[in-house]
Amino acid sequence: MSVLAAALAEVAPTADRLSRLSQRAYQNPYAVDWPSTVEPEADWFGSPEYVSLFGTPAWSELDEKGRRRLAFHEAAGFYSLNIHGEKSLMQGLAARLYRSDLTEFTGYLHHFLDEENKHSVYFGGFCTRYARVHRARQLAFTADRPRDVADFLFFAQTMIFEEIVDHYNRVQARDRRLHPLARFINDSHHRDEARHLAFGRQLVGALWAAGAPWPQEAEIRADLDRFFTITWRDFYHPDVYADAGIADPWEVADAAWSAPAQRAHRRRVSDKCLRVLTAAGVLTEEPTDAF
Amino acid sequence: MRSEPEIRSALRTYVSRHAGDVAFTDQTALFSVRVLRSIHLPELIMLLERLRGAPIDVEQLRIGDFDSIDAMLTRFGGPHA
Repeated sequence: MSVLAAALAEVAPTADRLSRLSQRAYQNPYAVDWPSTVEPEADWFGSPEYVSLFGTPAWSELDEKGRRRLAFHEAAGFYSLNIHGEKSLMQGLAARLYRSDLTEFTGYLHHFLDEENKHSVYFGGFCTRYARVHRARQLAFTADRPRDVADFLFFAQTMIFEEIVDHYNRVQARDRRLHPLARFINDSHHRDEARHLAFGRQLVGALWAAGAPWPQEAEIRADLDRFFTITWRDFYHPDVYADAGIADPWEVADAAWSAPAQRAHRRRVSDKCLRVLTAAGVLTEEPTDAF
Repeated sequence: MRSEPEIRSALRTYVSRHAGDVAFTDQTALFSVRVLRSIHLPELIMLLERLRGAPIDVEQLRIGDFDSIDAMLTRFGGPHA
């Protein structure tokens, strides 16, 4: 039996419960009433405190319209990084559907895959109508790893990515300053992610325990450390800054990444995820370069 | 855009951060000797974008593009490379 099959057997009651909830929450992603146009300089499309330049000198230099314009393009950047993250996630989920050792757990994987696809319909709907889908800056050439290690890293990285973006979704879904469409997209994502995260937190802990002791422990930890950093780096996207009319976008991205206010923001948003990974024994220290 | 010597120097600094005790040259196959692994690629791409001042289309990349510091200079050494 693979480590993943053993871990899934342990979390099967949770997966069954979440499958029932997914069936009840089933959504039609094509029923959105998209406005014909939006006004990036008149409405907030992202919470200003969650804009990647917030608390930096570049933010101070922007007037109110400029801040809203940046928040709009950053919303498109945030939705784009979700699209690219979900593409990788869907590939990983599809690769595990009906795998011979996982057939009895396929039900929840189907829901997971279906819901990720719907999120991308929402995100893509916004970006293609009003802005653009920003290019991915992440790629991973296939690494030759033992299957158990690949399974663990896939679900652990999925959890890290979803914990971070869900924090943004949760905050922005409740932010009454935001345009209703932005609130809707964030809220819709958050409702599904709450189930995925409940599953992910249990599964990652069970996977780690089922495979212990891991001969590749140091390499796994190093990979998760790097993953934290590259996930966060994607929030500082030079193309977003260029679209918002900001000069020297690469320099601005670097300066924002290093700004004390942004380092504190990343640590705060990552806190819950780090606590889950530390409590499970997966990580023993916080990621070196992410904060 | 930075000059070739500046890009080369920045790449050497980046690689040395990950090389530990492993000796490397500009021709070392960094992925074969596992000084770098696929998890490092996004960070490396961001570094190269900043150094050359132009975006990199990740959909056009091959693992061989990052084989060595020399290979990276050849592939990404200029804004239109």
